[in-house]
Amino acid sequence: MKYISDRDYDYIINKHHDASKPWNGMGRFVRRDEIFDPATGLDADALREGFLAQDESIKDLPHPIRKARALEFIMKNTRISCDPRDRYPSVNANDRPLKKTIIDNWKREVLKETIPEIGKKRSYLENAGIVTIWPDYDHSVPVWERVFALGFAGLLRESEEARAKGTWDEKQEAFFEGIRITYEAILTLVGRLATLAEKTEGSERMAKALRQLQIGAPTNFYEALMMDYLYFLISEHIDYLQVRSLGNFDRLFYLYYKADIENGVSEEEIRTDLAYFFLQFVAISNYWNQPVYLGGEKADSSTEINELSYLFLDVYDQMSIYTPKIQLKLADSTPKDIVYKMLDMIRRGNNSLVFVCDKTIREALVRNGATEEEARTCVVKGCYEHGTIGSYSAGMNYLNLLKPLEYTLHEGRDAVTGEPAGLPCPPPSAFDTFDKFLAEYERQLANVIDLTVEVVNGFEGYLAEMNPLSMLSATFPTCLAQGKDAIAGGALHNGSELMFGGLADVADSFTMIQKHVYEQKTLTLSEFVAILDRNFEGEGDEIFRQALLRDREKYGNNQKRPNEFAKHLISIFERNLCGRPNNEKRGGTWSFGTHVARQSYVWGDKSLASPNGRKLGEEVSKNASPMLGQAKSGATAAILSVTELDASVSPSDFALDLGLLPSAVRGEEGLDAMYGLVKTFQKRGGHALQINVFDADTLRDAQKNPEKYADLQIRVSGWNVLWNNISKEEQDGFIRQAEALC
Amino acid sequence: MKATIFELKRFADHDGDGIRTTVFFKGCPLRCVWCHNPEGLTALPQIAFYEHKCIGCGKCQKEDFNPDACLGEARVLYGKEMTVEELLPLLLEDREFYETSGGGVTLSGGECLVQSEFCAELLKRLKENGIQTAVDTCGFVPREALDKVIPFTDVFLYDIKAYDEDVHIRCTERSNKIILENLKYLDEQGKTVEIRIPYVPDYNDREIEKIAHFLKDFTHISRIRVLPYHNYAGSKYRALGMKHSLPERLPTDEELKSAKEILRCITKISCP
Repeated sequence: MKYISDRDYDYIINKHHDASKPWNGMGRFVRRDEIFDPATGLDADALREGFLAQDESIKDLPHPIRKARALEFIMKNTRISCDPRDRYPSVNANDRPLKKTIIDNWKREVLKETIPEIGKKRSYLENAGIVTIWPDYDHSVPVWERVFALGFAGLLRESEEARAKGTWDEKQEAFFEGIRITYEAILTLVGRLATLAEKTEGSERMAKALRQLQIGAPTNFYEALMMDYLYFLISEHIDYLQVRSLGNFDRLFYLYYKADIENGVSEEEIRTDLAYFFLQFVAISNYWNQPVYLGGEKADSSTEINELSYLFLDVYDQMSIYTPKIQLKLADSTPKDIVYKMLDMIRRGNNSLVFVCDKTIREALVRNGATEEEARTCVVKGCYEHGTIGSYSAGMNYLNLLKPLEYTLHEGRDAVTGEPAGLPCPPPSAFDTFDKFLAEYERQLANVIDLTVEVVNGFEGYLAEMNPLSMLSATFPTCLAQGKDAIAGGALHNGSELMFGGLADVADSFTMIQKHVYEQKTLTLSEFVAILDRNFEGEGDEIFRQALLRDREKYGNNQKRPNEFAKHLISIFERNLCGRPNNEKRGGTWSFGTHVARQSYVWGDKSLASPNGRKLGEEVSKNASPMLGQAKSGATAAILSVTELDASVSPSDFALDLGLLPSAVRGEEGLDAMYGLVKTFQKRGGHALQINVFDADTLRDAQKNPEKYADLQIRVSGWNVLWNNISKEEQDGFIRQAEALC
Repeated sequence: MKATIFELKRFADHDGDGIRTTVFFKGCPLRCVWCHNPEGLTALPQIAFYEHKCIGCGKCQKEDFNPDACLGEARVLYGKEMTVEELLPLLLEDREFYETSGGGVTLSGGECLVQSEFCAELLKRLKENGIQTAVDTCGFVPREALDKVIPFTDVFLYDIKAYDEDVHIRCTERSNKIILENLKYLDEQGKTVEIRIPYVPDYNDREIEKIAHFLKDFTHISRIRVLPYHNYAGSKYRALGMKHSLPERLPTDEELKSAKEILRCITKISCP
């Protein structure tokens, strides 16, 4: 089924930028103004000059008002487009005009002038590859229930009503004023889009929907999609605040869907609106992709999955797209057939689908202060993070677990830079028992955690100075009740999160140290350190490294010792971080998880070779996953290892990335087996499961870099073999098989 | 009691229903031209050498060399003596996966029923632990071997390679009389059987219709699987220093489809 004609597809995919041109360094499309009709407004350069000149004249006003005025200038003057080949309008703001100007300046002011010592520490931690810390504008989700129920106009009205009811100080007044200006500007922009659509032949339906959203809330499925899209577009690209979920789609949109069907709208029409909606995100093509989630559970423990969930996946599947990326909130009540449907999509190469286990995330939230009801209705956002509705959790803080190991083994020094980055400690020869070594690691790690908390707590009180969030705050009832920005403690829960990478590397390194130095005594700890210092490049080192890599006593093979070390690492965070207060203005607590995104590569270059056989420059293990190539006992053992960790200890990430070969999951038995993996992961309290069925490209990479794929197995009925054990010709056969499957 | 095992495969999902762990027993009475598990043919342990994986660690030059010490995993020992007590915990490790997927443990090979006494004991222990069991057999085994395992086996995965005896001899070097009789016996005993037919062009592709007619009167066959011949086993033969005469031609999709259609039409049994 084709929902979008080639003519329309070509228009949409190019409507923000020329999709045939290469991407910029951040993996994004390069801006192109001329796509937008000059008659509709200023080009991006004139726009920037305009709002900056205006800002010069109001420098004494509070930041929420200055930002709102800049937003107002952009929304009144930016170029826009409507076209009969599309069902959604477009705004020329893809390069986020506020980011490199006002907001980055405010960030610089805070970190360089207001709290320079904290700013310096932050830079040091980042440059040395210890902890990467960014102000987090990337993990918010508006209260979609209110956005849909009230529309932009209703959100403005409620804010003004709250403002009128209370007595507010100057700062609070500025907060409400920021919302007022922002939302009036949004209504202006929606009005401009409506007017343009009215003048555009063939865009009458779009015009009508936009007019409705200018005055009120969406009244049908198409208007609700338009609302979702507009909120996203304005927040993400104009307001500079990522919208990390389009919401619990099936739950939020079901009423509109049902009413439309009852009113005689055809399912075909709904599918087509949805297809054009999806394509907007492909056209914008932010490299971080746009999340949206399905499923969950109603208050009576029945499933939130409904016929719209299936329709949604159907359209998505038929379009063969990779964004939005979809999470399924997997509960006990989630029907088996929707899991099968997703698994079938995954094995055909769709890697944009993730399972997030409902029970685990609810437990984690309740353990950390949420009510049962807040936990039940929690949002899934970003990759697989979660949080209660109307909360703001800041978590762009990534800690490299390998660095404290370097300090422990180098008298407190960073072994790559030679800097005294850790706490001074005795040389390796002083650790005459494994326990002494382990205790020193804990001390070094606790110190890095303390440093992180000091830096983050130091600047998180200024988040609203750097980027006040008027648009988001208007959707949070707690913000309106307190006259306080969502990012400054106005949200329901205001946590901070520390993510760490290298869990498998360090658990495996501990295992190898204990085994070789303290049990088998094949070498001393000092000798081991010397080998790491020369990056396994001395005589005989490679043989030793192979022995380390070959050893199956690694995290991911369901072996007791590395599993216990992984649990021990988690417990260090539990003791040293969990529940600690974050910045007093935000008034929340700290939590932690294992998600590191791209940091695993950045740190790889900055982290000395490690005792598990990893060399300098090789990526650091990520998420709760085993080290690449080390889960040699297969998918079931990897799941058993990962689910040994208590993923409900902290409301954060313990995701497993699981690779499977197309040949292992073919046929009906293949689906049954995948389902068994997912359900066991869920039953054992896992958090998030990302299954990748390796495509031909991956297999080609495996052919070129066999060392990275030592655990890759291929399967043909009753027969199995390691990828690395078969000849090139035979590998080619499997690559062809994978090609055929995609 | 010990058995010679050449491999334990976890997350085996094409050896019966659901997620399974498959135990490969060493030694096989047949010599199929297309055999893809050559390491399972002889009863005695063998050391294979995957030359391209050798990193020159030198461990194999030592007198008391154990292939497990080979750092490049270039030398692989196929065939380890194991007791039921040693195997059992390994097979129970994935029991939660068996439960969520309707899977269990499969005994395969080689021909596992060559070591039938051991199989019976192992299967018994698995059943005591509530594990679903499958026996993957070529059928070329004494009746007593079947009798030993029947009480503890939930499903037999049973190979039929040809109906015509001459064709069977040409393909496997053995007659199929015992095989066909044993299958009838299993059916009489009311055991659930899944038939597996390796489809090897130019060898047994003309047997499909005959096999179908033979199978049509059976009452306990749950399904028939046609397993397309593949030629990925060449590396294993080389690593084992064994000659092979693996057929060259692979089955086409049309051939497979038509074979399944014939089986389905004649037997009225599911043939996915």
